[in-house]
Amino acid sequence: MAEVVFSQVKKAFGTFTAVHGLDLHIKEGEFVSLLGPSGCGKTTTLRMLAGLEFPTSGDIQIGDRVVNDIPPGQRDIAMVFQSYALYPHMSVADNIAYPLKKRGVGRADRDIAVAKTAELLQLTELLKRKPRQLSGGQQQRVALGRALVRDPKVFLLDEPLSNLDAKLRGYMRVELVELHRRLGRTMVYVTHDQLEAMTMSDRIAVMEGGVLQQFAPPAEVYAAPANRFVASFIGTPGMTLMDGELSKQGGTWRFDAPGISMDVGALNDRAEPGGACLGVRPEHVSIGQGSINGTIQVVEKTGHENIVIIGLEGGQRLTGRVPAPQSWSIGENVQLSLDAEQAHIFGPGPHGPRLNLPSNIATPDLKSAAN
Amino acid sequence: MSSSNTLLERRYAALGLMLIAPTVLVFCAVIIYPLVSAIYLSFFNIFTPTLEGEWVGLSNYTELLQTGQFWSALGNTLIWTVGTLSLQIIFGIAMALVLHQNIWFRSLARSLILFPYFISTVVAVLVWKWLFNDLYGIMNHLLISAGIIDFPMDFLGTMPNAMVSVILVGAWKYFPFVVIAVLARLQSIPDALYEAAKIDGAGPIARFFDVTLPQLREVLVVIILLRAIWDFKEFDLIFLLTGGGPINDTQTLPLLVYQEAFALNDMGRASAYAVVMMAIMLVFMIVYIRRTRSEEGS
Ligand SMILES: Nc1ncnc2c1ncn2[C@@H]1O[C@H](COP(=O)(O)OP(=O)(O)OP(=O)(O)O)[C@@H](O)[C@H]1O
Ligand SMILES: [Mg+2]
Repeated sequence: MAEVVFSQVKKAFGTFTAVHGLDLHIKEGEFVSLLGPSGCGKTTTLRMLAGLEFPTSGDIQIGDRVVNDIPPGQRDIAMVFQSYALYPHMSVADNIAYPLKKRGVGRADRDIAVAKTAELLQLTELLKRKPRQLSGGQQQRVALGRALVRDPKVFLLDEPLSNLDAKLRGYMRVELVELHRRLGRTMVYVTHDQLEAMTMSDRIAVMEGGVLQQFAPPAEVYAAPANRFVASFIGTPGMTLMDGELSKQGGTWRFDAPGISMDVGALNDRAEPGGACLGVRPEHVSIGQGSINGTIQVVEKTGHENIVIIGLEGGQRLTGRVPAPQSWSIGENVQLSLDAEQAHIFGPGPHGPRLNLPSNIATPDLKSAAN
Repeated sequence: MSSSNTLLERRYAALGLMLIAPTVLVFCAVIIYPLVSAIYLSFFNIFTPTLEGEWVGLSNYTELLQTGQFWSALGNTLIWTVGTLSLQIIFGIAMALVLHQNIWFRSLARSLILFPYFISTVVAVLVWKWLFNDLYGIMNHLLISAGIIDFPMDFLGTMPNAMVSVILVGAWKYFPFVVIAVLARLQSIPDALYEAAKIDGAGPIARFFDVTLPQLREVLVVIILLRAIWDFKEFDLIFLLTGGGPINDTQTLPLLVYQEAFALNDMGRASAYAVVMMAIMLVFMIVYIRRTRSEEGS
């Protein structure tokens, strides 16, 4: 078991910088997801931790060792590759036993360890097969087995579920969380699937363009996104973001945009009058009565709820989420209101910081559930 | 695969026949006809210039099996094939591994490496004979000035030097084929396998034996079989370099066939040698065909 610390880690490929001055302190035994859009530097970060890629500058620490100059085999880590990378000519048993063999573990001990791991991952029946005789999900479990058999300090997983179908992915998510709970090992998990990150992690590191945007528990990332990028990236359907003007009236702030105007209460001291952005999650929109007028443009029925897209008078569009019995026909004019308590205000620009006061978040129950 | 014969299907079948007919005809003319006539000729005692002679039945075969020359030529052929093939494989793999690394002169080296393979055998042999020459050859010059030998060596006129020289020149000429085939396979091995092995604690040597070599196995089997067939029937390189000498010490079966047919003018005997050679190569052929077929199957 070990903590993992990135200190000002930068990675440049030629003139292109894939990771900018990353600071990340992962606690011992924590399950951390690196989440972000494609090309944001997640894999690069993980590969630097594995020793497969070398930081251009900065230090990486595993446990109490700086590992910059330590080869992958001696870092006491195990990695599950997105492509599984099983040795094609070896049987499942030999694949799982390989890391032990290379560390000089005797045959008898290897067999015991393989049998134990195989049982844990329900691979016992498949031990004699070759990787190409396995389904994707089975191969994925073998890759996991090869990592688990060794009891390393840190597990690294690069999108291990992305090749599986939706059902198996859901199942493996639960399995992985359960495994993490049982082993208590530090796990670093790369994904671009926010559902995976939200459901599995203790904390999520949201990255974009090689820059860390927020590092916080899932509930906090959802309820108090650090900036406009995180707000737009997390949540399906996404948060509605509207550009407008912020003005101060006495102790409270007011937000104005075409077709919308609302008091947003107190903001933190980064708030300034002028351009700003209002963010509203779909569940904080109520349709039926209120001061805002709109027209129903799209209704998506998902079964237990309806996703409604409403055009506002100023041309803005707003996404709302309502329980299934409430339905609306397209073109219908409606009144609606926004939950000002739950609305977010961000500074101008694509990475404008969140300006709400921290007390504005109501999430204690979610947080403890995630831990 | 349906058995119903619609008009359209019959038309396609006719078209197919028409398209392969020229190939079949050429194949018959240049492969089947010579093959059959070689077997036919091997039952006669034929004087090459006139191509006339009388039926002798199997006596060409019984004689050749009794003469020492056939057996020594077969022995030479095996020594040559095994020797040059082993060197081709070893140097070929080693060079492919070097070229697979990210070295700055890689693309230049890749084209240079093909040079021996593309150069005509006649030219290559002339150059080598010149290098090997005991009076003015650079080999002897270098060896003497390095203090390794005191007197010029006769590379091609004594044994075992002649056989060693032939094997080395053969290896030099044909190892690029191995390099290219192995390199192509190396490039298709996923990097992730090496990375996984690194993380699993495998050093460079373990990575070669546990990742690289198993991936090369299939392609190596094919290369070895193909090169074995080609080396077994190699003629021009040996003929031009030593002519089979000294005495008959580098005379391989193809050289013997040539000698019987055109020096001793006994086409019947030569055909018998050729047929026996073909029978030996048939074994390689069958193994090769089975290998490639089972690969397609899996
Ligand atoms: N070896 C390399 N040489 C040059 N650029 C690279 C290299 N590896 C990655 N990059 C670049 O670095 C950036 C980050 O790549 P990375 O693989 O870390 O993305 P990612 O977040 O894992 O994306 P994805 O979700 O698509 O896997 C990308 O823009 C990529 O093009
Ligand atoms: Mg990636």
